[in-house]
Amino acid sequence: MNSGEIRPGEGGETGRGEDDQARPAEARPGEGGQVRRALRVAARLAGFDLRRYLVGALLWMPAAVIPIGGGLLLQRLFDQIGGHRAADLEQSLWLCAAFVGAEAVRGLTIVVAWSYGDYWWNAAATVLRANVLRSLLTARGPAAARLPHSTGESVSRFRDDVGDLVDFADESVSLAGATLFGVAALAIMGSIDPVITVVLVVPMIAVGVVSRLANEAVRRLHLHARTLGAAVTASIGEIFGGILAIKTAGAEEAALERLREHNRRRRAAAVKDRLATGLMESTTGATVEIGIGLVLLLAAPAMRSGDFTVGDLALFTTYVSWLTALPRTIGVVLHRLPRAVVATGRLSRLMAPHEDSRDLTRDTAVWFRGEPPPAVPPPEHDDPLDAVEGRGLTVRFGGNGRGLRGVDLRIERGSFTVVTGAVGSGKTTLVRALLGLVPLDSGTITWNGRRVADPGTFLVPGRAAYAGQVPRLLSASLRENLLLGRSGERLDAALELAVLDGDLAGMAQGLDTVVGPRGVRLSGGQIQRATAARALVRAPDLLVVDDLSSALDAGTERLLWDRIAGAARDGSGPGTLLVVSHRRAALERADQIIVLDRGRVVGRGRLGELLRDCPEMRRLWGEELVLEAGGQQDD
Amino acid sequence: MAHSIRAGRARRQVLRALLPGRHSAAALAVAIAAATALPLAAPQFTRRFVDDAAAGAGTGHLTLIALGYLVVAVAGQAARTLTAWLAGRLAWEGTDRLRERLAEHALGLDMAFHGRRTPGEMIERVDGDVVAVAEFAVAFLLDVVAGVLLLAGVLVIVSTVDPRLGGALAAYCALIGYGMARAQRLAVPSAARARQEHATLFGGLEERLTAVEDIRANGAGEHSVRRFHQSAAALHRAEFRSDRVGSSLLAGTGVAFAAGTAIALGLAAWGRMSGIVTVGTAVLLFQYTLMVRAPFERLIDQLRRYQTALAGIARIGALLAEPRTLPSPADPRPLPATGPLGLRLDGVGFAYDGEGGEGGEKVLSDVTLRLAPGERLGLVSRTGSGKTTIARLVLRLYDPVEGVVRVGGLDLREADPASIRRRICVVTQDVQLFAASVRDNLTLFRPSTGDDRLREVLAEVGLGLWLAGLPQGLDTVLGGPADVSAGEAQLLALARAFLADPGLVVLDEPSSRLDPATEHRIEQSVERLLTGRTAVLIAHRLSSLSRVDEVAVVGEGRILEYGREDLAADPDSRFARMLRLAGVAR
Repeated sequence: MNSGEIRPGEGGETGRGEDDQARPAEARPGEGGQVRRALRVAARLAGFDLRRYLVGALLWMPAAVIPIGGGLLLQRLFDQIGGHRAADLEQSLWLCAAFVGAEAVRGLTIVVAWSYGDYWWNAAATVLRANVLRSLLTARGPAAARLPHSTGESVSRFRDDVGDLVDFADESVSLAGATLFGVAALAIMGSIDPVITVVLVVPMIAVGVVSRLANEAVRRLHLHARTLGAAVTASIGEIFGGILAIKTAGAEEAALERLREHNRRRRAAAVKDRLATGLMESTTGATVEIGIGLVLLLAAPAMRSGDFTVGDLALFTTYVSWLTALPRTIGVVLHRLPRAVVATGRLSRLMAPHEDSRDLTRDTAVWFRGEPPPAVPPPEHDDPLDAVEGRGLTVRFGGNGRGLRGVDLRIERGSFTVVTGAVGSGKTTLVRALLGLVPLDSGTITWNGRRVADPGTFLVPGRAAYAGQVPRLLSASLRENLLLGRSGERLDAALELAVLDGDLAGMAQGLDTVVGPRGVRLSGGQIQRATAARALVRAPDLLVVDDLSSALDAGTERLLWDRIAGAARDGSGPGTLLVVSHRRAALERADQIIVLDRGRVVGRGRLGELLRDCPEMRRLWGEELVLEAGGQQDD
Repeated sequence: MAHSIRAGRARRQVLRALLPGRHSAAALAVAIAAATALPLAAPQFTRRFVDDAAAGAGTGHLTLIALGYLVVAVAGQAARTLTAWLAGRLAWEGTDRLRERLAEHALGLDMAFHGRRTPGEMIERVDGDVVAVAEFAVAFLLDVVAGVLLLAGVLVIVSTVDPRLGGALAAYCALIGYGMARAQRLAVPSAARARQEHATLFGGLEERLTAVEDIRANGAGEHSVRRFHQSAAALHRAEFRSDRVGSSLLAGTGVAFAAGTAIALGLAAWGRMSGIVTVGTAVLLFQYTLMVRAPFERLIDQLRRYQTALAGIARIGALLAEPRTLPSPADPRPLPATGPLGLRLDGVGFAYDGEGGEGGEKVLSDVTLRLAPGERLGLVSRTGSGKTTIARLVLRLYDPVEGVVRVGGLDLREADPASIRRRICVVTQDVQLFAASVRDNLTLFRPSTGDDRLREVLAEVGLGLWLAGLPQGLDTVLGGPADVSAGEAQLLALARAFLADPGLVVLDEPSSRLDPATEHRIEQSVERLLTGRTAVLIAHRLSSLSRVDEVAVVGEGRILEYGREDLAADPDSRFARMLRLAGVAR
């Protein structure tokens, strides 16, 4: 609740999210349902910790009202100086001291209100973010389809859309404060000179309307400048990312000319943006000046007659500069409403289909002062795998043929199944569909003969665990990455099975080594073996591994399968495996190989049979399997 | 010594690039003068107004003064906007010049420099630093120059009213300025900590959103939410501390300025009693004390940024001072303009520089190879960088430490660099594509030889159908909806080579990620490209060696074996052993 105006006359808003100017408006304010939904969400945000919200709001009120007193003090003081009021120097000095005292009280309440409001603001944002995150990570149904294409966009929803919504709920406090001040100030001014007061209101409203109208244009200019700025950065990144291509082709001058062009366009937009921002700023400044000018103009006759004193003049000039806050605050609220509508819509789209906007503000506790309770481990399941089966699995992806068409697959307990096929034949889609990571257009999945309603929440540890094709590690210690909340008792065994034990011995901090994007860069092979270990720690019945070969050399991959197969035999590791691979080490070991071509199964059986009977298998791997023996790795 | 002279020269270059032209500078000076003088003049009108009203002047006279105030005050706002616009334009022009100059210089640096730097680092150094300097330049003109002028003007005017008042105001400004600058420094650590926690929270969220499938399929959702709660709590604690410091500073500034106003008014009251000042002058003093606050705060704020900008200028200077390592030939001679080029390496040795510039470990020694025009050489090794280094020397991305590399009979160090780029061409494994049109990706932004030729070449490498499927043909921007597969990217790189029509091609074979069927398609295009040209093939798969004339087996930085047909035939050779292991029959 710290977005309350501090000095409404001069500074900018103190609210967060200054970048929020950068996003295009998607709101269609005509659609009342959306507006009502956003208002409901904002109301629930205010209400989930109503006591803090109300106390925080009350704390802000003195900061809004004290300037009224400051103006009255100045009025008395100037009347004394001007001789309208008889007084000695001592009285004047006391008034000066009172003026400083009032500002000191105001400063103190600002510090208190701001610090107190922090909790509510952060708690409200955390509730929204935690609810969306929990839905994405645990709710029924595939989650990847709900996320926008770029992670930058997803993060912007978590950061800016949440900020927009909380700011909107928070803005009511500033509005209340500015209104309170406005009513009191206008009443006092009206009692001094009603005509001047009424005339002063006109430019205030005009400026409020003008800046409201101009806001959209300014925002668009700003967005445009930002886009072109990003283009300059991108073009520099490309030049130096493709430096080898440019240098070896001698295309330096052409690349520079392209940069110059981007520069020119960005410069034009940035200068315009700056001008627009400057105009908006000076509009506020000019309103104050025009207001003071109007007071002088209109007060001239009354001043001559002594009805309007120099103290009144001081009071009017002071109040005018504070009063400009009211149209601006109203403008901000009006401006924030469509953004809150957009934000509500965008956050709701991240939630699962069966959830509604009420789930956005579901009352999740926040733990700002103590540790959150540990996540409950999944319960032991009581139906160990006999057979998992997919029938008629069909996934249509926007028509580019990369889906699945009626794939049947049966994986028996203790079996080793390999899925293979050309690039784009649907191997990865098949395992992801089975695990519920992509939505099925048709087909059923059964576990021990019973139909699985939502594979995404059913085929998880301890039934199944997954090491994906493009593995992701988080910026955390290796231990945290492998366990992700599990207990560490199986860690050593999993490290050995995943052939990560040797690498670990070479790391000075061992399992405490911080890895991931902001930590130590592991090699591609190490990352893939780490994700395999992460799945193995979970002791699943079914281990699903998608293509380790792109970063593992053939020898290491063979060792990995040897160890995992050994563990399966003696029962110390997962007994059933589903693997995407085109490596000999896996293909030779397989109990069944499923050959995919353009989303269909075109062969099924053991390696020898398929090389004999399946044309696609022969086309793909006939020659390759012979050549691979050299184990050549590129440098 | 030489280095510091170079750095000094580079810093002067930076400042020169930033300086505006004479006319622009004059316009800016006028604007700044107006933006200072007009706001200073406005309170003089209020003073006259109040004093004349007290003296019983006519309404018409007072109205004129009020109108005068209105005009001057609004003109002052306009002048400030104009100043902001001019300052912005000049700063952007200067920094654009600087950015282009930097990019040009960096592009001219050798691969020895670029090999050690990521594109992200280069973005930071060519763009990030320059933007920081640009922002400071604008702020300097607006907030520092204009702010100091305004403050000085206020002090001078108040001093003319009464030197004692001016002195008191000056002393008070100095005191507050010192206090604010000190207090600001206090706020920096906690604000930095809050920004850090902010970055951690969203960085963590970004990673978890990217890994959403890994997390779901491994049942770690609730655990990740718990981690998020921990980050959110850390952020709240950091923000709480930072906001407490920040709001205290804000409140303190407010109180300090209120005290300043009170002192001025107290002095005015005293002056009024003693008859030194009029009531109008008291109003004037009041308005001036209100006026100094905003520029004062901005000035203090700039003090903090000054350090960042200085650091930016130093880094820019350092990049401009970075020397080229490949000397330009004194008397450049062009490579033969047409036909295949022969290649000779005589006793070539090479070591990559360490960071300090001293020689690192030798990666090549005593490499001697001879390739007649039109022949093909296959480079094989079990592992290691030897063969890639040979390729880099052939392209003159580096100069050998010992020995000579000759292409078309010319020592590359004496050859015209432009002709090297024209006549020697490399096709690498990772194809560098640009977010630009297909045309620009083929020509690398140079003037095109005509769209017909581009289409012809694309058809030649087997991308004819692909091109036909693109929505805007050659104008289709890559990286957009028309995603390029690894195989297609590889073919595009071949198309670039076809367009260049080189006499010597260095071919780093497509990676093993492609499935064999796609690779077969590429092989056919390669075969067409190599016809009638000299070629060095870096072989990752022995199967591709079926089409070379000579084979060199590289290991531990040396040529272990070098020969023609005979090498494969000799059962004791390493090459034959490798072929047997791989099961390739020739």
